[in-house]
Amino acid sequence: MAQITAVLQKFYNEYRSKTSKKLKVIDAYLFYILLTGIIQFVYCLLVGTFPFNSFLSGFISTVSCFVLAVCLRLQVNPENKMQFSGISPERGFADFIFAHVVLHLVVMNFIG
Amino acid sequence: MEFVKFCILALSIYTLFESTHGSIGGYINPADRNKFIQILQKSLDIDGSDLTPYYYAAKARSILNSPYEPQQVTDYCNNIKSKFQYQSIENSFYVYSAWKLLGCRGQIHTTEAVKAIQSAIENPKAAIPDIRYGLEILVIVGQQVSNPAKIAQTIQTKLKEDDSLSNLGHALHAGYLLGDSGKFVSSRVEDIIVQADEVDGKLLQWEGGLTTTSLLLTGLLRAPGSAPLTASQSDKFANYLLTRKTVQTPKGVLGLVEAANALQHSTVPPVSVSIKGIPQVSPEKGDLVFQITSIFGVPLKVPPKPIQVESVTKLSDNSVVVSNQALKQGGSSIDYVLPLKLDPGLYKVVISAGPNTADFAVRALGSLAIKSLEIGLSDTDGSAATKLTKLPYRNKLEKPLQADSSQNLIVKFSLSRPVHQAFLRLHSVAKEIIFVAEQDSSKVYLVEVNLEKELSESGNFEMELLLGDALITNPIRWNLGKIEVSLGAIAGKEAPRVARGPKREIEHLFRPAEKRPPEVVSVFFTALTASPFLILLILWAKIGINFENFTAISLPFHLGFGGILGLFTLFWLRLDMFVTCAWLVPIGGFTFFSGHKLLSHLARSRKQEKSDK
Repeated sequence: MAQITAVLQKFYNEYRSKTSKKLKVIDAYLFYILLTGIIQFVYCLLVGTFPFNSFLSGFISTVSCFVLAVCLRLQVNPENKMQFSGISPERGFADFIFAHVVLHLVVMNFIG
Repeated sequence: MEFVKFCILALSIYTLFESTHGSIGGYINPADRNKFIQILQKSLDIDGSDLTPYYYAAKARSILNSPYEPQQVTDYCNNIKSKFQYQSIENSFYVYSAWKLLGCRGQIHTTEAVKAIQSAIENPKAAIPDIRYGLEILVIVGQQVSNPAKIAQTIQTKLKEDDSLSNLGHALHAGYLLGDSGKFVSSRVEDIIVQADEVDGKLLQWEGGLTTTSLLLTGLLRAPGSAPLTASQSDKFANYLLTRKTVQTPKGVLGLVEAANALQHSTVPPVSVSIKGIPQVSPEKGDLVFQITSIFGVPLKVPPKPIQVESVTKLSDNSVVVSNQALKQGGSSIDYVLPLKLDPGLYKVVISAGPNTADFAVRALGSLAIKSLEIGLSDTDGSAATKLTKLPYRNKLEKPLQADSSQNLIVKFSLSRPVHQAFLRLHSVAKEIIFVAEQDSSKVYLVEVNLEKELSESGNFEMELLLGDALITNPIRWNLGKIEVSLGAIAGKEAPRVARGPKREIEHLFRPAEKRPPEVVSVFFTALTASPFLILLILWAKIGINFENFTAISLPFHLGFGGILGLFTLFWLRLDMFVTCAWLVPIGGFTFFSGHKLLSHLARSRKQEKSDK
């Protein structure tokens, strides 16, 4: 148990010290999306899915946002520069914004 | 030893079959006779040039023993005389015969005509029917056949060419008329009888119908004392003739009557055993009357003896009730009486008259008595005890039964014997309903009527018990009294259907919305879903987000992006897809350009930073 605490402690310290500020901002955003999705799911379990399309569009929205944010994080992360050599962080952000516009057009259409 | 036993058995079976044979059912009764005479008379009333109906009528009526009035005879003779002219030998035969049978005065034939006929039949090329009719004419006019041997030779030659049944029939007649020279035909007799077709083992006939059968039968039996037929063959021919009693032509009538007459005067006259009236007996009328007659319904010349009832068998259990009992002579010479006292049921009666046997299905009727009857009402749910009123036979209920929808009408009765039909009939002026009474295990008949189910509306009904059976003498129809049924309020009658016109509008049923959660829960969860945004803000603050790069150049992009999100909110709340897309293009375009400008600015400044380092 103590070991696990030690591992977590070390992991947290490493994260705090080594991760760039930009990524921390994105991670905070991801955490926020995750929490929202969990609350939606709990609501669905407790109260029910009616109206189903609204629930679905909300949940799709959170899941998609999470996926898109993860993508952004991967592209922005300097450690992955080798994979995304031709893509600048700004380009990644522009893609992220564009994908969101399209995604939320669909989500809004579906929400009813 | 075994062989001897077998021989005795075979012999006894043989004698059994040989000694008994069937009889014919029915005979040519007075009604048939009148019908025949009418048919014959009708053909004479038609004023035509054809004189053959005179022959058919005169011949048939002489056989039926129904002579014409003298006035009629004179009329017919004059008619024949005025219309006759030579056509053919056959036609001449009909006219000469009719002339003779009617007993007309004078003579219709001329010497020349007879001579011409005589030479015609001696012609080796003459046809068999012509020869036969020629020979008949010669008999009528009382002349001898000059060369019978030669004519016989011609017939034999002709028969070799064509021995059809019709030719054979005429040859039989011609052979009889030729006397000794005609003996050759007797060799064909067996062959002719073999050619007769048997139908269902009951009828015998020759192919060609009534005319051919009659021609052959009269030919075969023309010689007195000839016995070409066995008794059973004679019966079967007679049965065939009786099936043809429906003939409508004078020729058919004559054929039937002639053939029946020939059979009656043969050595084996058919014996008709029939029941007079309806084949049933009852306690009031216990006598069965059998008639034993010839085919013409007259007493037989040699009445068969002994006449007795072989057996009376009850069909339901095959028990023999009467056996070997002699019949008493009845009122007339053809009637034989069998007094019977039988339990009600169906019976088979076997009568034997000499070697002839006949069996009949006879019904014995009995009277029906009602032992007891109870009537009343019971509750459908069986809550109250059923109260039944005993009702003596033929009495009515003093007071009408008062029934409502929760009650059953019950009628229970027991009879002296079971019946086929037992019904309870409820009827008012415009309505009747009939219920079947079922017999239960204790032989009690029961009708139970669920008034609510069976009746559509309230009303007063008469109750009637109907009892019937094929074997009872007193079918019963008993008015039991009245019942007043009040079923209470009944749902309105169905609206009358309209045959034409618009049909009723179809209303679509949408799926009802499911129950929504209470507002408190919804609001709570909305707040809960929004709360992580607060956490996001806190985290970002903790991390230390910097707004240093937020300059005037980034303002248009943020305005544009905010505009898109605002548009989406409007889309959610009120706009449709087309309007949204129309607005999205300019706003999106603006955002794209401003965004591009901002980001390229950022990228440039980042590179500068790098290069500065």
